[in-house]
Amino acid sequence: MRHANRWWLLSVAAVAFMTLVGAAGSALAQDKPRYGGELQFVVPSEPPSYDAHREETFGVTHPMSPHYNTLLRVDPFDKTGTKPVADLAESWTIAKDGMVYTFKLRQGVKFHDGTPMTSRDVKASYDKIIFPPPGVGSSRKSAYRAVEVVEAPDAQTIRFRLKWPESSFLLNLASPWNWIYKADILAKDMRWYEKNVMGTGPFLFVEHVKGSHWVGKKNPDYWDKGKPYLDGYRATFISSSSAQVAAVRGERAHIQFRGFAPADRDSLVSALGNKITVQESPWDCILMVAMNHSKKPFDDKRVRRALSLALDRYEGSKALSKIAIVKEVAGIQVPGTPWATPPDELAKLAGYGRDINASRAEAKRLLKEAGVEGLSFTFKNRGIPQPYEPTGIWLIDQWRQVGITAKQEIIEASAYHPMLKRGDFEVAMDFQCGFIVEPDLDLPRFLSDSDANYGKSSDKVLDDLFVKQARATDPEERKKYLRAFEKRLLDEEVHTFMTLQWHRIIPHSSKVKGWTVTPSHYLNNMLDTVWLSE
Amino acid sequence: MARYIVKRFLLMIPTMIGVAALIFFMMRVVPGDIVELRMSGESGFASKEQIALERARFGLDRPLWRQFVEWMWGLARLDFGRSMWTGASIGSEIQLRFLLSLELAVLATSVAVLLAIPLGVIAALKQDTWVDYAVRIFSIAGIATPSFWLGIVLILGLLIIFKWLPPMVYTPPWVNPWQNLAQLIWPALAVGYRYSAVATRMTRSAMLEVLREDYIRTARAKGLWEKLILTRHALKNAMLPVLTVVGLEFAFLMGGLVVTEQVFNLNGLGLLFVQSVAHRDYTLTQALVLLVAAIFIIVNFLMDLMYAWLDPRIRY
Repeated sequence: MRHANRWWLLSVAAVAFMTLVGAAGSALAQDKPRYGGELQFVVPSEPPSYDAHREETFGVTHPMSPHYNTLLRVDPFDKTGTKPVADLAESWTIAKDGMVYTFKLRQGVKFHDGTPMTSRDVKASYDKIIFPPPGVGSSRKSAYRAVEVVEAPDAQTIRFRLKWPESSFLLNLASPWNWIYKADILAKDMRWYEKNVMGTGPFLFVEHVKGSHWVGKKNPDYWDKGKPYLDGYRATFISSSSAQVAAVRGERAHIQFRGFAPADRDSLVSALGNKITVQESPWDCILMVAMNHSKKPFDDKRVRRALSLALDRYEGSKALSKIAIVKEVAGIQVPGTPWATPPDELAKLAGYGRDINASRAEAKRLLKEAGVEGLSFTFKNRGIPQPYEPTGIWLIDQWRQVGITAKQEIIEASAYHPMLKRGDFEVAMDFQCGFIVEPDLDLPRFLSDSDANYGKSSDKVLDDLFVKQARATDPEERKKYLRAFEKRLLDEEVHTFMTLQWHRIIPHSSKVKGWTVTPSHYLNNMLDTVWLSE
Repeated sequence: MARYIVKRFLLMIPTMIGVAALIFFMMRVVPGDIVELRMSGESGFASKEQIALERARFGLDRPLWRQFVEWMWGLARLDFGRSMWTGASIGSEIQLRFLLSLELAVLATSVAVLLAIPLGVIAALKQDTWVDYAVRIFSIAGIATPSFWLGIVLILGLLIIFKWLPPMVYTPPWVNPWQNLAQLIWPALAVGYRYSAVATRMTRSAMLEVLREDYIRTARAKGLWEKLILTRHALKNAMLPVLTVVGLEFAFLMGGLVVTEQVFNLNGLGLLFVQSVAHRDYTLTQALVLLVAAIFIIVNFLMDLMYAWLDPRIRY
């Protein structure tokens, strides 16, 4: 009997072991990239030109990034989208004083026409971005103000000499916009890349039918041996959101890389079940409230502070995240990223306290003290449904809780920016979308001399804090300055304030593997790591 | 007749100039321009220097009168310029979409005519019977139902019931006629239904009017075969107002299917039109307005010629 029991136990153990081994094997097989197939995805916008150095829309990066490489890239598997890793650069060194960055380039990298890529090409590309000749547009020139010169001492080395140390410089070189172009082509025509494609990336250009689709096929000579896994990809341009959802639901498209609304996610999940995988992330876009400092009573920081104190961001997050693409309560950085303020510290800022009744009592007291009880104003909002309209309605409701009456005026999307620039508002919705979460890229808009400081605030203390954090090479020291910057901006002076961080929702076919959502919809579009499980 | 044709063609010139001037200035009255949109669209930030550079590149920094004169001079040489948004020639932008829009307009018109004429005639012949009521319900429902809504219902129906969606990318009919039809038949049905509803009601009322005319009574009194009376005498004369409706709708379909094209993701002129306006792509919008105006003028002209064929009493 005892024998039989032992045999039974042994059998059970053996079966369990085999099951575990089998499951592990199957999981490994699942995780092993499969070659072949065409990734089909939807792009809600279309490239105005083919030159990423001058463009600002994901309509460029989504269909075209697979044709190019950058010097560094953001780690495609890093969910924070903030970790720079090698792309065309193989290794790098940084001088002790932080003023010289030297990169060794990979050998054997070829452009799609078969010519080798060298440091000359990298220099020509960066010269075009940082020091564009007259008449040539460069959208991110100002992000490289610290660069004094770009040098190519030999074919495999590229060197950046800076005017001052900049802690974000390495990450800034991983910008998804800084595609490496061919020097010979740029020497002949600086604007050739506006209408043509010639990169070193994992996919070759096949065709672009305007208004319809973009097709790429596998680069058989790609320098990263074994990649890409896909035979090719097809990006279809679909502007209507209902048609985008229908395309994924009808399995005409595997994925749309920008993001869907919560209702779209729910309808796709309920229709397709386990055929759909949902990846979500805080999104590097935020709606802020700009208050015109040149108009009374918004020149009074007590009034500005009251407007922020009135908001119950935590309850707002719960309610709005069901209907709009906003969710996280955030300060000046995307939650979960390296420089973001921890929630406990954030709760100490005006309008972020957990006791909303106390905050609102304080808001009412401040309004009374400023002599503007029963304040009313016109709140200008951008005429785009997601997430501007629901967030605008929420703001008006929150302000009403402290006796403020705001009349919403919706301005047509294309006329919105000129209105902000003219300063033709009392209080208005302001917005920002970044491509990498990094204070040096996200914060300049709040500085006194910034063209995007629509509230026209002027604060030398804030400007100094920005410079200090940018030049701090010790991370802890930088964090200290960033916290001080945030406190000054959102609590002490309340030059502007945040509503809620956008929330990126990507429901995609479960066949799509090797792609990780990040906070930025401009990142992770090279497709070299992506594969289809069937 | 030849003189009439020449006169109509010559009249097109001042009409087109008027349309051109109107659209040129209307576009510039609207706040915001293409440079602001392009440079500040998503990131919400562009430097003044960058915006000034782009504005100069598009010639938007020049005085308005100079921009107008330069554009009109281009038009005189049939040079419509380049799209400010894509940089491609206007001709190539339109050429890409023209065939799809034309094909959709022809298909929708065919659906409409094939439904409207028999239904309208039957309703008139069976006036105040259940057949007439059924046709009237069908046509009123068609007028009341927006095409884009019907399009969404069609898509959802195909998706939920048949687990199938029409192709998302246009295939010309000579490459794969089946795929072409599989994509275009659904929007053609959605648009054609509404279009047929208008034409059905017009056919019915025109037929009722004509059937009460003296010459129909005379034909019947002469003992003419009823089928011949209907086709040769009644229907041909009743077609004049129907033709007007069909012609105007056809011209409208060439550039007016904005929402339906979005719902079915069709790369047509309607979608191009709305994108060009949204992007403040002045050159492209101006060219598209001129194109649609030309289509309306040509369709009107062709209808005038057909009036003369249908009713020999009409002479130009």
